[in-house]
Amino acid sequence: MSRSDTPRISLLLLVLVSAVLSSCNVVRITLNTPLTPDDVAFIVPGQTTLLEVVDRLGSPDSLNNSTSGVVSIYRFLDMKYSRVNFGYLARPWSPVDPDLIFSRTGFGTDALQVFYDQNGVVVQHNFLRHVTERPFHPYPF
Amino acid sequence: MPFVHAVLVFAVTAMLTQGCAFSRGTLGDDIKTEAVSAIKKGVTTKTEVLALLGAPDRVLPLNGRDVYQYYRYDAKAGSLLLIIVNFSRLSVKGDDLFVMLNQSGIVEEVIWSKRTENLEFRFWPFGE
Repeated sequence: MSRSDTPRISLLLLVLVSAVLSSCNVVRITLNTPLTPDDVAFIVPGQTTLLEVVDRLGSPDSLNNSTSGVVSIYRFLDMKYSRVNFGYLARPWSPVDPDLIFSRTGFGTDALQVFYDQNGVVVQHNFLRHVTERPFHPYPF
Repeated sequence: MPFVHAVLVFAVTAMLTQGCAFSRGTLGDDIKTEAVSAIKKGVTTKTEVLALLGAPDRVLPLNGRDVYQYYRYDAKAGSLLLIIVNFSRLSVKGDDLFVMLNQSGIVEEVIWSKRTENLEFRFWPFGE
């Protein structure tokens, strides 16, 4: 490879990368405000009341009976989807439009359950799942 | 020079942007803040609540009390379609109002927050 080939190879790489990236999609869907353990650190069982929780976190999505009294549930979702179509690389040379799609979706569904006693004082609180922040990556394997 | 830079940034952005899209969806009627403010604990009756807010979306039995739940959802989506890559973001938030009634049909507690007020159209899917 001579020195004069370098710009041509760079241009070819640029075109290839652009072709791959042009088929990229990055999508995010959030339902309500995702809560973290830091957001609920103020809740102290035996001390914090329902109204204090509502004051800090807003009204819950649902209220239900529990054996101790009442349970409030805060649901949230942080879905991340990314997709790359490598078929675009072959389109300039192919008589058909081939697709080779890698995509991945992470449904970050979670909920915070707060249990209260008959007087509206927190008994316990827990996250339904322990969703950690996941990056966008389309590799499905 | 700042003007030239601004023109350059605008030109590059215009060249890279194929298009953009705004979409919005709502579920349920708007819960009016004035109507909620008119509900007084220990005073307002079930009939008055129904007159102010209409029939609830759900009636929950909670330890011998009735709880009326009213909700509304608002969704805002923004898409930025670039030549290189497409970014989309959909944000959904809900307003939930719970009116707890005692066995005499008098309001005992009101739990309410309007989360949709701060809902914005967003394109950038990364970060917060």
